[in-house]
Amino acid sequence: MGVPMKNVKILVVDDEENIRILFKEELEDEGYTVDVAANGEEAIAKVKKNHFDLIVLDIKMPGMDGITALNEIKNMNKNQPVILCSAYGEFKQDFSSWVSDAYVVKSADLQELKQTIKKILHI
Amino acid sequence: MKSIDLLGKVIEISHSNLEITSRINSIINIIAKEMECEEVALYTLDKDKRLTCRFTNSKSALCGILHQYRCHIGEGVIGSVAQRRAPQFYSRHDIPPRFGCLFYPELDGMLERYKTFAFLPVSDDSYIYGVLVVSSSTMETLHDNEKIMLAILSREIGGILRSYDLILSSTKRISELVTLTELGKILSSNMESHELLKNIALIVARAMNAAFVSIRIEKEALALENERFTYGTIDPSVEPSITPLEEECVRLKKPLALKDYEERVYGTRTSDFFMYVSPIISKNRILGTLLMGAGTPQHGMATEEDAAYLIDTIARYLSTGLETTLLNIRLRDVLKELGDAQKRLVEQEKFRSLGEMTASIAHEIKNPLVVIGGFTKRLANKVNKHEEEWRYIDIILKEVKRLETILNELLNYVKDVPTATDMCIINECIDEVLYLFAPDAAWEHITFIKEYEENIPPIKCDTQQIKQVFINILMNSFEAMAGKGTITIKTGHTDVHGKLFVTISITDTGGGIDPTIVDNIFNPFFTTKEKGTGLGLAISNKIVMNHNGHIEVHNKVGKGVTFIVYLPAKNTIM
Repeated sequence: MGVPMKNVKILVVDDEENIRILFKEELEDEGYTVDVAANGEEAIAKVKKNHFDLIVLDIKMPGMDGITALNEIKNMNKNQPVILCSAYGEFKQDFSSWVSDAYVVKSADLQELKQTIKKILHI
Repeated sequence: MKSIDLLGKVIEISHSNLEITSRINSIINIIAKEMECEEVALYTLDKDKRLTCRFTNSKSALCGILHQYRCHIGEGVIGSVAQRRAPQFYSRHDIPPRFGCLFYPELDGMLERYKTFAFLPVSDDSYIYGVLVVSSSTMETLHDNEKIMLAILSREIGGILRSYDLILSSTKRISELVTLTELGKILSSNMESHELLKNIALIVARAMNAAFVSIRIEKEALALENERFTYGTIDPSVEPSITPLEEECVRLKKPLALKDYEERVYGTRTSDFFMYVSPIISKNRILGTLLMGAGTPQHGMATEEDAAYLIDTIARYLSTGLETTLLNIRLRDVLKELGDAQKRLVEQEKFRSLGEMTASIAHEIKNPLVVIGGFTKRLANKVNKHEEEWRYIDIILKEVKRLETILNELLNYVKDVPTATDMCIINECIDEVLYLFAPDAAWEHITFIKEYEENIPPIKCDTQQIKQVFINILMNSFEAMAGKGTITIKTGHTDVHGKLFVTISITDTGGGIDPTIVDNIFNPFFTTKEKGTGLGLAISNKIVMNHNGHIEVHNKVGKGVTFIVYLPAKNTIM
């Protein structure tokens, strides 16, 4: 994916540091500019300050969880694209997750996440 | 010999343990010898209340003739003695003109040599057993003491006959009791119902020394699979008569013998075979019939009257016990089913909590796994594929993938409530599943036979989950057949306890499941496959149960397995 996409900014929100590092590096390799947050509060603070083209949001986090954060973000800007990214698909059925633009189950293989990002950003 | 000696000897004989006929014969011979009588004959009462000459002294000249004739009570001298229970004494001169049955034409010319005749009732205080006939050619007349002696002796003989009678009837009662006790024992045993009825037939047949005994159970009365339980071999000559005889017995609600039936139907008796049937009636409801058959009477074989009596008694006994016992057996079966269901529930509960625990552990594992796998992938991109390190990386990646698959299936298993409810036409749903396999080269050697019922009612379900069920079952069939064979898919609908269900049966030709493990196939983590997680069928079962349906497994060892999925046509989940 050699297309330069430095102008596309993505926020990765996950409580696990290693996941943040992995996602950041993988997405940067794809050409995106990536910022990270460790929980819901931190994410909202960052969203208030900066514009992001896309937010990748984990669900299970200490403090403010992903679903709550999703709702706050969508309340602030209902056009803000958000991908929920959880270890399992159990929240797929949760009504409150439906406001997200996509739901991706975390996997060591990041292909699905990457493809979903492209789809949402119409790249 | 003095009268006292004679009496002593007779009493000695009558109290000996000789067989009854020898005792009576000995006494008759002693009377003949000691009282100088040429003829001593004993008439005894038969069951039909007729008197027959069964015993005579050994030197009797008349025995050959006397044995041929029988007489009723009240008929002739012998009959009237039996009737009045009073002795009669005659000399040649005062023989009455109609001497009755003793003086048959054959006796003409033979009686002249006798001078005295004595006829004595053989009885005890309450019952007449026969008549003792004594005649002498030497004595002109009998003295009073001789008359008294004869009266005492005839009473003694009466005593012997009476005790024999008592022994006979008590032996009969004892064997009857033994039979009923045996029946009682098995009725209260925990024998399975078919076994029970077979055993009843066996006990009755043995007790009666019958050629065969057959119990027929009315279908509507007790809903058993078989209706006839027979011990012994049914004689081909009477086999066609059995069912009409039983039906007539059921119609009349009364016992019936074959001979009576034949006489009524054909006007004559066509078979010598003895067959007797008695209804088993409980609370005015016919449960069935008990029938026995016997050919020519053999030694030890009960008489027809005894047989009929015993069959009636047993049928009555069975009436009270059989219904209770059979109902108990059914109750026991139902209880067992309930117990099994409860066991299954406990199992499910166990697996549910196990599942929850597994899920939370799986959650904890998933993130590190994603990290390991993700970075290994990044590492892989930096390593030359020809270097040895790349091989190690490849192994790590494969193992991570395997772990991820297990974790995903695990979580699927833990998920419990169907969430989407679509209207699903099951035939289309299956076709969509089969379409998934169609392009797969691995499925080339699988032949599908589709037998779909048209116009199946639609079902409300989570179509994705239901598809998953069929995929899992089909995968299971595929693996059982090692990728080669025939899968037959039938759809239909059926009524289960008044509820409409759509059924989908999937049959493979994979040789079936080892019967020792068939109970385990729906248990999570149970697998016989090298690469299986043991969750496929567990998940399928869970999904179907969440839809208020169930899966049946019909295992034919050596042939294959049929999974039948039942889904309610009117689903309540929503």
